Amino acid sequence: MSGFGSPADIGVAQYLLMTIEEIGDGTAALPHTRGHFPGAPNTFDAGGRLGTDLLTCIIDSIGGMTSGLASLPDWIVTTNLMIRRAPDSLTGSHGTGELTLDTHVLRRGRSSVVTRIDTTDASGAMVATAWMSCAILTPANGPPPFNRPVKPFDRAVPNDPIFDTPPHEFFNLSAGSTPGVVSLTVDQRLRNPWGILHGGASAVVLDAAARSLVVGRPTAEATPEAIVTDLAVHYLSPGRVGPIVASATTTGHRGRDHLVRVEVRDQGSDNRLMALAMTTVRSLD
Amino acid sequence: MTNEKTTALSPIDSPLVASDDVPANSRPAYPPPRHAMSLLALESEQDLSGDVRGWMPVTRYTAAADGMPRLAAVAMLVDALGGLRSITASDPEWAFTADMSIHLLPAGPIEVLQADLHVRRRGRRTLVIEAELLADGERPAGSALLTFAVVPRPEHLVNITIDMTPGRRMMNRNSEHEPLTTDYLDELQLLVTEPGNATIELHPAVCNTVGALHGAVHASLVDEASASLARSLLGCDVVTTDMHLAYLELGRVGPLSATATSVGGPSSDRVSTLVEIRDGNGMLVSYATAEVSGQ
Repeated sequence: MSGFGSPADIGVAQYLLMTIEEIGDGTAALPHTRGHFPGAPNTFDAGGRLGTDLLTCIIDSIGGMTSGLASLPDWIVTTNLMIRRAPDSLTGSHGTGELTLDTHVLRRGRSSVVTRIDTTDASGAMVATAWMSCAILTPANGPPPFNRPVKPFDRAVPNDPIFDTPPHEFFNLSAGSTPGVVSLTVDQRLRNPWGILHGGASAVVLDAAARSLVVGRPTAEATPEAIVTDLAVHYLSPGRVGPIVASATTTGHRGRDHLVRVEVRDQGSDNRLMALAMTTVRSLD
Repeated sequence: MTNEKTTALSPIDSPLVASDDVPANSRPAYPPPRHAMSLLALESEQDLSGDVRGWMPVTRYTAAADGMPRLAAVAMLVDALGGLRSITASDPEWAFTADMSIHLLPAGPIEVLQADLHVRRRGRRTLVIEAELLADGERPAGSALLTFAVVPRPEHLVNITIDMTPGRRMMNRNSEHEPLTTDYLDELQLLVTEPGNATIELHPAVCNTVGALHGAVHASLVDEASASLARSLLGCDVVTTDMHLAYLELGRVGPLSATATSVGGPSSDRVSTLVEIRDGNGMLVSYATAEVSGQ
């Protein structure tokens, strides 16, 4: 495991522009952080709501960083991530606009960390809750540089119009020939500091595949008629080459809720299974 | 094929067993009468590749309002079979459950729930197992994903054997003379103290081999704490349809209490919950989220 750069230079973070602040003096064994996601028109859907794809990205970002702080002088990789959205924030005005992510490390063991992330809207209403597990690793070049307590910092956004595009363009998504298949072309901006595909990017492509299957058409774009309401994703191996292909299959449904299984594979790395997810996709009226 | 001497054992316990140093000869006989696992009459079969299939009869004592087994019982089936599968998959090391996700479909009413388990990843330190659930061997009934932490094999588990004779067998011999004759959660003495709060004493029937709360009984607490909250909010019969559960510590001090709170507000027919389970000292021992559907 070797790093290549500063946390400030992560493309996915430059796209989302969430700021993170550590609560306390930075000496707590189980760190507590708070993130502020201001949002931008290109990241919200038509109703002003963040899709579960980008929601997973910001949860993975702050949860991973906070888990890493708990693991210093080592660092972490995410092994699995579970998200559940609040039923009353899927439509209407709840859950729209800027978001706050309150993040607590629940357990720091010898080899793993479990962290909880609660997301609220500007009114304080719960939008989603999540927990994630991370494996503790020893990076060859040390952990990312952080001053404790971590304070919000401005990220320099590259002067590139791609950072103003909607998620399917920023993440290089393209629809397959059949519903439920979406691919992602790996670009430098989609890699994390270790040079592998950002965990949030894996979540974006699998979210798109799951929604495409349920709406019944090949698409990698937003689907106003369907949203992922819960997600359990297990990261099995890193994405390195691409194209990254997510393939969704349905297991059944409970009314409007469709249970969808998604495999994410790195075709350029012997089609290796990168991630496995079970999601619930709700058809919206 | 005869019984093979391998390094695995037909598990009688959740693999949520720490690699602690409690010597085997100092422990009471396990499982005790009317144990939470024995009562469900689980059966299993393991093929030469190590893959596992298992079955659980569904009765009115384990069924939810939709005729499916309630999530508490499914968790025991998946946990027990996952433990069995993990033994050969983690060999020569050991594995214990780190987390469990279950999604259930409305495939009821059913007589038997079948689970087919497959290893999806065996890394140096983690093992991921997927379970496909089938109603009466034919209809999709849901799925489960489990993560196991791979650890050095505890000393007292080095010389054990597994019966890999082909064929389907009871996972616990006590099941043959310990039929469940009342509601499963009542039998476990799991109590709802108010909507969203469930508690259980740490009596032998709900413990694992090291005297901590059995991993699947954590799921029972999550199920009933969430369901009781949803019944109160929705005012109707409910079914816990899915759960994501992380094990944090062994629950060695009773009583253990689960507190469910709503994630945002409910919709007309759904409640999402987050659930904290704490031991008798107030320590957080597991954390979960769940979804409950009105019927």
